[in-house]
Amino acid sequence: MFVSDFRKEFYEVVQNQRVLLFVASDVDALCACKILQALFQCDHVQYTLVPVSGWQELETAFLEHKEQFHYFILINCGANVDLLDILQPDEDTVFFVCDTHRPVNVVNVYNDAQIKLLIKQDDDLEVPAYDDIFRDEEEDKEHSGNESDEGSEPSEKRTRLEEEIAEQTLKRRKRREWEARRRDILFDYEQYEYHGTSSAMVMFDLAWMMSKDLSDMLWWAIVGLTDQWVQDKITQMKYVTDVGILQRHVSRHNHRHEDEEHALSVDCMRISFEYDLCLALYQHWSLHDSLCNTCYTAARFKLWSLHGQKRLQEFLADVGLPLKQVKQKFQSMDVSLKENLREMIEESANKFGMKDMRVQTFSIHFGFKHKFLASDVVFATMSLMESPEKDGSGTDNFIQALDSLSRGNLDKLYRGLELAKQQLRATQQTIASCLCTNLIISQGPFLYCSLMETKNRRCKLLPLVMAAPLSAEQGTVTMVGIPPETDSSDRKNFFGRAFEKAAEGTNSRTLHNHFDLSVIELKAEDRSKFLDALVSLLS
Amino acid sequence: MFCERAMELVRELHRAAEGRLPAFNEDGLRQVLEEMKALYEQNQSDVNEAKSGGRGDLIPTIKFRHCSLLRNQRCTVAYLYDRLLRIRALRWECGSVLPSALRFHMSAEEMEWFNHYKKSLATYMRSLGGDEGLDITQDMKPPKSLYIEVRCLKDYGEFEVDDGTSVLLKKNSQHFLPRWKCEQLIRQGILEHVLS
Repeated sequence: MFVSDFRKEFYEVVQNQRVLLFVASDVDALCACKILQALFQCDHVQYTLVPVSGWQELETAFLEHKEQFHYFILINCGANVDLLDILQPDEDTVFFVCDTHRPVNVVNVYNDAQIKLLIKQDDDLEVPAYDDIFRDEEEDKEHSGNESDEGSEPSEKRTRLEEEIAEQTLKRRKRREWEARRRDILFDYEQYEYHGTSSAMVMFDLAWMMSKDLSDMLWWAIVGLTDQWVQDKITQMKYVTDVGILQRHVSRHNHRHEDEEHALSVDCMRISFEYDLCLALYQHWSLHDSLCNTCYTAARFKLWSLHGQKRLQEFLADVGLPLKQVKQKFQSMDVSLKENLREMIEESANKFGMKDMRVQTFSIHFGFKHKFLASDVVFATMSLMESPEKDGSGTDNFIQALDSLSRGNLDKLYRGLELAKQQLRATQQTIASCLCTNLIISQGPFLYCSLMETKNRRCKLLPLVMAAPLSAEQGTVTMVGIPPETDSSDRKNFFGRAFEKAAEGTNSRTLHNHFDLSVIELKAEDRSKFLDALVSLLS
Repeated sequence: MFCERAMELVRELHRAAEGRLPAFNEDGLRQVLEEMKALYEQNQSDVNEAKSGGRGDLIPTIKFRHCSLLRNQRCTVAYLYDRLLRIRALRWECGSVLPSALRFHMSAEEMEWFNHYKKSLATYMRSLGGDEGLDITQDMKPPKSLYIEVRCLKDYGEFEVDDGTSVLLKKNSQHFLPRWKCEQLIRQGILEHVLS
């Protein structure tokens, strides 16, 4: 069920208990976790934090801990599947789920006792009504019971029997109609996957309601929201609305300090609203590198081709930036060039067909040296979490990433920034090589690319399925389904259900381990028949 | 030269890192004592000779041997005393039950001394703080909060908490627990205090 008063029904319930936090491995979950940790530490709530990266880990961890805890909090996992079915908990276990994955599974919505959803109901959820999906089983049983203790008069019995038979056929027909309608409703509801309000923002809201919000928590909420935007999980409209909400909080926090007689020292943290360029990490890199390695600009300029590189040079000339300046570190660029940089770049970008060069975001600074945009922190944390493992345990990365969000661990944040640069460069190179060597094949309803362009104009409108080898010994492949990118798309992903159906239809051996249902593992041998099934399903 | 073995003993302790207790050097000590005995006997006979025979030229030799004896004595006493100080520090580090590896490194007399020290400390602690006594080996640094955030560095298993329930300590899980419960495990290196 949906929790309406977060404070009474969630926080005060867990305040005197020991709770277990399951946190998924994405930046938004990390931020929500940090906010919740800060609240718990303030109120001395004993908790245990367990990072999980997939369903299997969640199930194993739950089995290990179920004897010791009654209250579980799941962050960014668990809303879109039937939790009680998967985890099989005891009667008195209660789950609090704060998840951005939608659609919320109907069982989770209508279970009052054990599952409490920390989700705002003003997100357009469109949950089907209770009567449309669930039906009291008892009605039917009563009638069948009545039949058996019927009286013994034969003639009366016959007419009554006829009436009854007529009644029953009517009932059965109604039931079939109801079931058919139920299937349709559920299909429509569960067809598309999308994301709701950032969990970090939900947690910050809770903190604000209890008047325990700090600037640190506000910053984490900002990073959580920016993560959703960077990974294209929410629409532009929703992002702008949420930015507006956070901006009000930012001005409230800043206003508090401006009133005092003594201005804040330079070392204190300050958050400010920026209307800044959407170039990844540009203030910690050179402008040229940033332009080449940001998805948006790389795609618009088509930087994998020679023609694209020339266009980039034209663009830089149009802005009026000498190549030598642009290729050195941003902080060493001439101050005269940096002054109106944003406006100049935006103007030229408009001429070259890139309308969304600037985006509303926030930045944080403390001390003379340290200034970060929200997207910088998102990239850094993401790269720390996804850095290739040397030891073998995925949780080490999670801990690194979690630490880097604290202000005291700036060295980790800088390390993350370096890793992020490597990651972005590697991504661009892979994409460039894919496109250049024509590894992308058009499979009819979608484009297929197997890692180890058609100059099709429909490229932009077709969804993309990518496969990458996951584990050589087990012979598995990771498949990801990405819906087409358009400015007005509602960011809904239908690949989750499509993958499931295709796998069922062809008996391919798949593992739906990720919390995002559009990412699966597949045995390499089953790949071709799986793809064929997918083609026929989507055409 | 004389006093070499005694210097060896002192050097051995000097090389051992702070807090570590190397094995009790039975052999070395025995050799030093033998040397001292030999020197003493030589000196005895020489003194008798000097007194009775009037041999004044033996006196520098006697003096020299006497200095060596004193030096040997200083070195052995320093060795034994330093070991005792380290053993005393162990009580505060590891608690009243020493790990068996350390116990093998101590001689029988040192073990006895340790037990006496333990008893003495326990009696003192019981005499503080009214009826219950006060455990002064906890909280070596003034605590800043009742509860601390700890991270588990190795798999440990189940750990009991005050209300009878237990917490599973697995690698890389983080917990927020009362300070006094965690201190022992922090000292053993299983948990790590996370400062945020």
